[in-house]
Amino acid sequence: MKGNSRLGFILAIFAAVGCGSLAVVQAITAPAIAMQSQKALDESLKELFPDATSFEDISSSITSSSPAVKFEEAYMVKSAMAPLGVAIKASGSSYGGTAKLLVGVGLARSIAGVKVLELSDTAGLGMNATSDSYYVDKTNKITFPGQFKDKFITDSFEVKKDVVAITAATITSRSLTAIVKAASEAGAAWIESSAMAGAAPEGK
Amino acid sequence: MKKLWKIFSGGLVFENPLLVLMIGLCSSMAVTSTVSNGIGMGLSMTFVLLFSEIFVSAFRKIIPSSVRMPVFLIIIGGFTTIVDLVLKAYFPALSKSMGVFIPLIVVNCIIMGRVEAFSYKQSVLASIFDSFGMGLGYTWVLIGMSAFREILGNGTFLGIQVMPQSFQPILFFILPPGGFLIFGLFIAFNIWNKNRLTRKAEAKENA
Repeated sequence: MKGNSRLGFILAIFAAVGCGSLAVVQAITAPAIAMQSQKALDESLKELFPDATSFEDISSSITSSSPAVKFEEAYMVKSAMAPLGVAIKASGSSYGGTAKLLVGVGLARSIAGVKVLELSDTAGLGMNATSDSYYVDKTNKITFPGQFKDKFITDSFEVKKDVVAITAATITSRSLTAIVKAASEAGAAWIESSAMAGAAPEGK
Repeated sequence: MKKLWKIFSGGLVFENPLLVLMIGLCSSMAVTSTVSNGIGMGLSMTFVLLFSEIFVSAFRKIIPSSVRMPVFLIIIGGFTTIVDLVLKAYFPALSKSMGVFIPLIVVNCIIMGRVEAFSYKQSVLASIFDSFGMGLGYTWVLIGMSAFREILGNGTFLGIQVMPQSFQPILFFILPPGGFLIFGLFIAFNIWNKNRLTRKAEAKENA
């Protein structure tokens, strides 16, 4: 009995010291981590909407209609003059785990751009979706996420039909396409239901 | 000094964690499809192994043997989390490219294996040499395997095109079967090399 409580005591001390040091490190690094992820998000939002000057959090007013796709954050993107569109950080499951994409929807019911934020699929196959030098269209140098740019949300979004798949990574291609489709539909619906629709350019 | 060198070089060839001890294989098969992944995984593993071995060896006298496993886990897991947080906060680019490996390090049995079989019984200095030997032994095999797999399976080395445009990448090597084949060839090479070194040492002794 005495021996057991001694063992428990030693184990508790190791656990307490471990927890304590993790808490200290966590407290020191937390602000820096939050700042880094904010910076990374700002940068990727700017990449999709180069003219953007401000982002307004609309995460609470936009929901995914697809059960397989979750929306983590959503932003209304504005330039100095007028609103530009909506950007949604959406996640869904892919071949090797969760995939996170940032999908920008413009006012003209077309996709402003897609950026892969997180993906853990097979390196050299599915991971080609994150590569800047892997082209689904070699002549025009268009990457896998790049092909969604300016695509209309009314398109069918079918891999191997209107979406070019990554060679030997059909599952990755399909799951990413499904996330893009769900996010762009929700984004477009939000734009329509909000006052932003009035500012949409005519014609397209 | 000679003893320490023997500990260090043991990890590279004679007791190579992947090719001889055959531990930590899952991660090696998973990450060796590109060279940059191989380097990233190898170095982060070496780093965590080094500090886990130092901590376990330093506290070995006060860790009772019946609760050593949970204590090792606390040390390894805690240290890996610290590395993860620090990388995320101050080296975001590095963290992004190595992010997938950090959770893999905790479950890498090389670390558990070495702290249990080595550091728990040896001095801090010997543990440092062992962790470098094992870590680099792991790293060179990862880099070697990934070089073959990336060049043959993707036509690139570190992401740079090295094969002529006419070369059709052999996807087989990127996929698991190709990984097993390359791994088998590496084991064969290591056995040949081990025998060669042993014969050389024997010849030197007899002379």
